[in-house]
Amino acid sequence: MTRVLTRQARRLAPPAAVAALVLAAWYFGSYVLIDADRRFLLPAPHEVVKVGFGDPANLAELLAALRLSAEVAVTGLVCAAVLGLALAILMSQARWVERSLYPYAVALQTVPVLALVPLLGFWFGFGFSSRVLTCVLIALFPIVANSLFGLRSVDPALHDLFTLHRAGRLTRLVKLQLPAALPAILTGLRISAGAAVIGAIVGDFFFQQGEPGLGQLIYVYPRRLQSEMLFAAVFLASAFGVIVFWLFGILARQATSWHSSQHRRPDTGGAPR
Amino acid sequence: MTDDGRPALTMEAVGVRYPGGTVALDGVTLSLAPGEFTAVVGPSGCGKSTLLRLAAGLLKPTAGTVGRATERLGFVFQDSTLLPWRSVRRNVELAGELTGVPARERRDRAGEALRRVGLSHVADALPGTLSGGMRMRVSLARTLTGRPDLMLFDEPFGSVDEITRGRLGDDLQELFAADGFAGLLVTHSVAEAVYLSQRVLVMADRPGRLVGEVAVPLPYPRRPEVRFSPAFTELTSQVTALLQGGTADRIEVAA
Ligand SMILES: Nc1ncnc2c1ncn2[C@@H]1O[C@H](COP(=O)(O)OP(=O)(O)O)[C@@H](O)[C@H]1O
Ligand SMILES: [Mg+2]
Repeated sequence: MTRVLTRQARRLAPPAAVAALVLAAWYFGSYVLIDADRRFLLPAPHEVVKVGFGDPANLAELLAALRLSAEVAVTGLVCAAVLGLALAILMSQARWVERSLYPYAVALQTVPVLALVPLLGFWFGFGFSSRVLTCVLIALFPIVANSLFGLRSVDPALHDLFTLHRAGRLTRLVKLQLPAALPAILTGLRISAGAAVIGAIVGDFFFQQGEPGLGQLIYVYPRRLQSEMLFAAVFLASAFGVIVFWLFGILARQATSWHSSQHRRPDTGGAPR
Repeated sequence: MTDDGRPALTMEAVGVRYPGGTVALDGVTLSLAPGEFTAVVGPSGCGKSTLLRLAAGLLKPTAGTVGRATERLGFVFQDSTLLPWRSVRRNVELAGELTGVPARERRDRAGEALRRVGLSHVADALPGTLSGGMRMRVSLARTLTGRPDLMLFDEPFGSVDEITRGRLGDDLQELFAADGFAGLLVTHSVAEAVYLSQRVLVMADRPGRLVGEVAVPLPYPRRPEVRFSPAFTELTSQVTALLQGGTADRIEVAA
């Protein structure tokens, strides 16, 4: 038991040391490098915590915004996952479907979706639905590309095995292709999750109307010179992204424990191979 | 068993030309009697896998005809082709699952097949935790659940070590003796071909074709010691001579 704890401590010590260094540098910048009258550029960490998270009204404002952004991100991600997987399955069934649709999926990836935000607001209003749509547009491609790659990369010998037993399309899809593609699908989902978080927060930043999420707060705080609140909001947004990414990493490892490469491959942060 | 005495497998002047233009097989004619175990040897790339894919109906010939007397065929691939997310037992059940065998019977057959290959104790393990030889046995067990009349083996022991390979060969012999399926075994080991089969077909490449055959009249069951007998040595040297472009005539050897 103590040995496990020692090992954990040894594993956590280096990143903890880095965090301590960063905090030290932050205080140094805040109190030594910057004059007192310009300290709003870099308020000290404890000031950020005191103002942002210690004051109940401020905290409520931040948490309400976080909740809204999280709802947008999760809804967008779920829609993107369902739609993306469905598209990938369709494309995996016939080359002509892939040839017809894939170029548009790629185009979607190259279109600066955030530049479309005013247009989306114009068409669908500045509320929840157009925010979710922004998320979906940003998060769709990784899930489509990774799922399709997974569905297509099944070992040909396994396909032969299914052909030999006269398996139909659906059986092949359910019993062979989808399970074999699961690691790739989860990789896509993880990248999409990151994208959905960015879509929710940055999209909100651009919408500038409607109920405020974290993005809008990040937009207005600097204009009101509320720098502690700005730092608190940025911190929440970052933590939200990191936690989502980390959760999907755990999910991927749990769901694909049979996949031997999961044990050996270094964690590439979910980048597609 | 196919009872009517028709050949389990026939090929008549079969040719295969792949889209790229490669002539993988040219003018191949062969016939496999029910319950006959035949081996095929040849240099790599001479069309051995193509021959087996034809026999299994995974590929259509571009010339000639392929006939099979039975639909109950088993195919043992070079790799074990197990689904890594399924337990050993559920992998063995897969064949019956795909062909619509009722769940109960599927389970019984899988249990029996696993017992026959000596792997009942790892039925709940995932394939990734087994050795290469064990995975090959699971693959063999999966094939056995279909009660095949014709078994096709594509270099089935190519990826396991020498000792395991010998053991798998002996297991195969036992299964063959008990079930009496017809077998077509592709291998690149001359000794293995002679040891396991009643007849060795020799292939050459460019284009892939049969260049001769050697009958192996050694009685079953064959024990590993038979490999050191003069008759065995004589047979392997005949096959080797054919492989090296020696006489293409049919050679008979008395036991
Ligand atoms: N799907 C394919 N398309 C084109 N050429 C192929 C294909 N499969 C095999 N070949 C070619 O046909 C020849 C015979 O292949 P194969 O039957 O796999 O040989 P072997 O199993 O004896 O090594 C080789 O030259 C190989 O490159
Ligand atoms: Mg081959």
